[in-house]
Amino acid sequence: MTETKTVHALDGFFADTAEGPRLLGSRCATCGTAYFPRSAMCHNPACDLSKTEDTELGAEGTLWSVAIQNYPPPPPSKYNEPYQPYAMGVVDTSDGLRVLTQIATEDPHALTIGCKVRLVIDELYRDKDGTSVLTWKYRPVV
Amino acid sequence: MRDVAAIGFGLHPWGKFNDKSVGELCRFAVEKALADAGVGWREVQAVAAASSRFSGGKGWGLNGNDIVEDMGSTGIPVYNLSAGCAAGANAFNIGWTLVASGAHDVVLVVGGEKMPKGFIQTSGNEEKTDPEFVRQRMIGMPGPAFWALLCRRRMAEFGTAEEQLAKIAVKAHKLSVHNPNARFRDEFTLEKVMSSAMVSYPLRLFEICPVSDGAAAVLLCSADFARKKTTAPVWVASSAVATARFDDGIPRGLACPAPKDGRAYHSEAAMAVEKALAAAHIGPRDVDFVELQDNTVYYELAFPEDWGLCQPGEAERLMEAGETMPTGKLPINPSGGFLSFGEATTAQGVFQICELGWQLRGQAGPRQVPDAKIGLAQTLGLGGNGTATVLKR
Repeated sequence: MTETKTVHALDGFFADTAEGPRLLGSRCATCGTAYFPRSAMCHNPACDLSKTEDTELGAEGTLWSVAIQNYPPPPPSKYNEPYQPYAMGVVDTSDGLRVLTQIATEDPHALTIGCKVRLVIDELYRDKDGTSVLTWKYRPVV
Repeated sequence: MRDVAAIGFGLHPWGKFNDKSVGELCRFAVEKALADAGVGWREVQAVAAASSRFSGGKGWGLNGNDIVEDMGSTGIPVYNLSAGCAAGANAFNIGWTLVASGAHDVVLVVGGEKMPKGFIQTSGNEEKTDPEFVRQRMIGMPGPAFWALLCRRRMAEFGTAEEQLAKIAVKAHKLSVHNPNARFRDEFTLEKVMSSAMVSYPLRLFEICPVSDGAAAVLLCSADFARKKTTAPVWVASSAVATARFDDGIPRGLACPAPKDGRAYHSEAAMAVEKALAAAHIGPRDVDFVELQDNTVYYELAFPEDWGLCQPGEAERLMEAGETMPTGKLPINPSGGFLSFGEATTAQGVFQICELGWQLRGQAGPRQVPDAKIGLAQTLGLGGNGTATVLKR
């Protein structure tokens, strides 16, 4: 059996590190604000000196809200056929981000706001040639 | 700054007009506004127009230039304003500034739009620096899903029921029945709304505004000019524009800093309203009625609370008690709102201001807010653009 070829939906947003999946972001060395995706500038008007540095973020967090994408979204979204509704969420990460995400779950209706979630790298869709196209998602911690 | 009067309001009805250009829609609205004001085209000294990304404007958002060419090339200055769905009211703000500053005595504000079919999509540019593209490609999250996330959070915080969301749409269409300019003028039963397709749980199809074509125009002028044309002008009490704050807790791209108190609110809208109320020397409870941007029923609950028109968590009860109807304590969207009109992105900021004008003149017929003296209009646009306008009589 051959291993499935994988590719990131877009490069530069997440990585599978030695410590596990991480979002590729920035943090301002002056005021500590976290950014995703990477930001050349600190957007905090109270920060005296913009000094952003690349960092890895978002390993775990809490579900702030959740919704379901009931209909197939228009382009440029992509998904596997036949279309299966999926869960989307807003996650407050333990390192200071509020991030938009799909939620990896078999039962979108069972998700509860406030539950603990962990970052995973998961399939968004399969390309025509069978390549598995990946994105970041959060999965409830059971 | 000097006083500014609004003496002409004109609208092309909202709908889908496959056989009309955006120029034709605008001309209709402009001619109505000029006739309403009793002003000839050659008296107009400047145009402030909303820029469309979708149609007209020679592909560059030069929609104001199209209007001047169409009406007569008098050589007057044109200002084309781009601010996503807030563009119409941004153009109004510039028109008001031009008159208030004394630069011009008579300024036409106009917004017109022909929308592509379906929910609003990205520009089509697949660039990693475009957060709208990245969000939809990487997360599969179109606009309605974003509203659904905000709405679901409210349900968790305040116990809002799905049926209460549906009742807001029912209320909108009770009013649209009385508005000949609305696109969807049928009364909607609770059952009809509740049985409409689930778009993005918890939001259903009839709880989200569709896209429409439409155009609207307002004629602004100095007090001296207004006195020559009418004995009862409507006055612009204030016009304010704001952009989103760093710390408001709403992720507009892929993420934002998580606020310490967890709260999320549209700071661009709240700040614009706050500035407009302060400039008009009134408090939130002095507003007799509001036309707010109801892309979805959720905003009719969240916005009045964000702006201090009512207490947090109170909006559902007020709505169910009928207080958001024209005869209630806090009339919201007597026009029928975007739920009844559909979103004609750059035109709608101007349409709201037309409704303010008609209500303040007492010309709104069966949807009239009794004895309306002060009206507030608000828009919200992509990029964190917010506007607020207060008109009074």
